[in-house]
Amino acid sequence: MLTLNVYRHLLLLYPASHRDRFGEEMVSVFGEMQAEATGMGTGAQIGFFVRETAGLVTGALREHWRSLGGGSIGLLFPTRRVTMHSEFRFPKATAVLMTIILAGVIVAIKQGEAIVASVPHVSQPVGTIHPVHSVLLGGIVQGIVFFYAAGMIGWAILFAMRRSGVHRLAETSGTPK
Amino acid sequence: MEFLPLTEPVLLILLSLAGQPRHGYSILKDVEQMSDGRVVLSTGTLYGALRRLLDEDWIERIEEQDSSRGRQAYRLTTRGRRNLQVEVGRMKQLTRLANLRIAGKQA
Repeated sequence: MLTLNVYRHLLLLYPASHRDRFGEEMVSVFGEMQAEATGMGTGAQIGFFVRETAGLVTGALREHWRSLGGGSIGLLFPTRRVTMHSEFRFPKATAVLMTIILAGVIVAIKQGEAIVASVPHVSQPVGTIHPVHSVLLGGIVQGIVFFYAAGMIGWAILFAMRRSGVHRLAETSGTPK
Repeated sequence: MEFLPLTEPVLLILLSLAGQPRHGYSILKDVEQMSDGRVVLSTGTLYGALRRLLDEDWIERIEEQDSSRGRQAYRLTTRGRRNLQVEVGRMKQLTRLANLRIAGKQA
């Protein structure tokens, strides 16, 4: 799950000015939330993990956009042209649906194992079916790596744009001063 | 008022600070409680909002007595409170109009 250490690394996605101003405070608040989430069920913990990861990545992109001179992109006030949802919600219905799907997958694998066991191995035995738990854990780890990589790529693109001076194009005026 | 109307999360953050100064975690929990669990903010979203509200001078940081845990408390400024009152007044007017229209009366 999302640990304090991983959280600190994800904070590197933010502009340095934002980290200097709020970094330690965000880590402190995250620590309190994480301690609270530890006592909750798996669904709530996954929801917490997804919400925090998505909030950090989108928050970092917004802050970079703003620092490039792009202004606010609907984080706070709906009067802007582009409006984004400022909070990530993880509906309980989704957790129920995921549980049902997981149960279905487990049942299907168990039935598959039973069929394999009932069929005599004539020549080519069916390959090993890996336990579903390890597959799920692997998927979660891959998800974390994917989010992190996507964030780093986004940050690199924004950083390259800033270095190239592309952001200054928005400040140019069509009329002579 | 360039920034009005406010989004629901920002309105809830301001309402949370209207009663008393709060630090980040306290704001998150209060927002969740006020919205009956409907609005659950992430730290990234909260501090993006706080940064903007600080920049616009709607809120200000105050020294927390227990600063050993990296906590900072926030409170509404006079400007922030005034803007919040304007927004609540606008919503009251809208609610009154909506009630009249739903009841079938002309406003």
